[in-house]
Amino acid sequence: MNTPAIEISNLWFAYDGVRVLEQVNLRLPAGDFLAVLGPNGGGKSTLLRLLLGLVKPGGGGIRVLGLPPGQAGGSIGFLPQFTAVSASFPITVLGAVLLGLVRPGVTWFQGGAERKREREAALTALSRVGLAEHAGRRLSDLSGGQRQRVFIARAIVSGPKLLLLDEPTASVDGKSRQELMALLAELNHDMTIVMVSHDMSTVDGCVKSIACVNRTLHHHMDSRLTPLIFAQATGADLIAGCPVELLAHGAVPHRVVLDHDSPDCCGGGHAHGEKTGSGDGGRTS
Amino acid sequence: MIEALGYEFFRNALYAGLLASLICGIIGSLVVVNRVVFLAGGVAHASYGGVGLAFFFGLPVLPVTAGFSTLAALGMAWVTLTSRERADTVIGVLWAAGMALGIILIDLTPGYNSDLMSYLFGSILAVPDSDLWLMAGLSAAVLVLVALFSRGLLAMSFDAEFARSRGVPVRFLHFLLMGLTALCVVMVIRVVGLILVMALLTIPPFMAERRARSLPGMMLLAGCLSAVFCIAGLYLSYALDLTCGATIIAVACVGFVVSLAVPQRHRPVAPTQQGLLPNGSGA
Repeated sequence: MNTPAIEISNLWFAYDGVRVLEQVNLRLPAGDFLAVLGPNGGGKSTLLRLLLGLVKPGGGGIRVLGLPPGQAGGSIGFLPQFTAVSASFPITVLGAVLLGLVRPGVTWFQGGAERKREREAALTALSRVGLAEHAGRRLSDLSGGQRQRVFIARAIVSGPKLLLLDEPTASVDGKSRQELMALLAELNHDMTIVMVSHDMSTVDGCVKSIACVNRTLHHHMDSRLTPLIFAQATGADLIAGCPVELLAHGAVPHRVVLDHDSPDCCGGGHAHGEKTGSGDGGRTS
Repeated sequence: MIEALGYEFFRNALYAGLLASLICGIIGSLVVVNRVVFLAGGVAHASYGGVGLAFFFGLPVLPVTAGFSTLAALGMAWVTLTSRERADTVIGVLWAAGMALGIILIDLTPGYNSDLMSYLFGSILAVPDSDLWLMAGLSAAVLVLVALFSRGLLAMSFDAEFARSRGVPVRFLHFLLMGLTALCVVMVIRVVGLILVMALLTIPPFMAERRARSLPGMMLLAGCLSAVFCIAGLYLSYALDLTCGATIIAVACVGFVVSLAVPQRHRPVAPTQQGLLPNGSGA
């Protein structure tokens, strides 16, 4: 297993002549958990689509699990952005997970043995996300957080080595978000995970490295949020403002960012080890 | 009212209604869950150009209309894929252009054109055997195609982005769906006319969607509902001497209102409450 999960070299991509991504280089070792941060329109989702082989790069090389994009099939699990699946679509939880095993081509005939095997794989995936007892329910009867876990089950039903997630925690409530992140940390034991997010509060203990994407990509082999990462991820000028003001705190816990008055605030230093500390008594805003 | 079955035209009307219901249940469900109802409306109306062509050149109407509306549908599918932003506008233009072409061609056709209205409002009581056979052939073709691509169609309808990531040929399936819609529209034109096609394509699937647990289940339920509307509408129009196509749609609309009034299936117990039960019994 020495093949890196993802290898990108000198990649660029243009939409209607405008370069969305350029000079992208990334070597992601197997077993990593990468959070891809960046402003909207910075090219995060495009990068994911390039990895999936849904769009062709303008130039440069991409290898996913050692293969060209789009060739690794079921070895890549994919969770699209909180999907526009209509709430009234008639499908059961089990039926939705089974769609993770769909293959191109026509269905001539599906034998009973194959049907049974697929059903068992789907039930296993559902029990991994803790929803086995809901298999027979209509998908529309589940809560938003549960539905998102069903889609994760659909992504892992084929037993992938790499899991690509597009905004997995968008539009779920705080508690479901924590449960989702715990689930992803657990799945990370078996597979490499790449998670696109514009929400920096998802960057917690389980994330192993961070990539900031804004036309180009900066890979930080560390999951601590530094002012530099803030600046790259929000697309702001590092000199122009303090990250705390850029974010206006938002969903980011105050303890992971620096004091307004700290000399390090805009100097490119690190947000120190306070991330895990509990005593942030006097620093509430 | 059973004596109506003694007439061949009435039996043929029933057969035509049932065939149309079968296909409308299947294609209508796909149209509704893929949210291409407006496209289907465009295909239905543009197909009038095919009727005009057939009249002008003195060719058999159904085959020519089938060919013309399939071409129109593929054109519209292409527009939706290439210029997504203005697709609805372009479809509106094609919609009107097809109808205008049909009417102008019929104007230019010499002779007596009493049949014109029958394609706008349906002529289910005048379906000849030859049309029935053609409808049966089209139904069989639609059934085989949907069965062959069933899994891909389901994956695309549920989540096109995910389906694409799995290598499902979503583009091709989109064209296939629009082609099938065109064939379906041509069949239903015979029954209720192209003005009223939309009702039969959308009302039964809409009623079925919220009550079914799978896409095939939705298709089956929609087909059955559609058949009930067709049969009830036929008998009512016979008994009350009303226009057939309009009566079928009126019955469907009443069914639609009733289905809105009937309470939905109850949502199962909330997860938190479910969680409490085993704990309580285990203590």
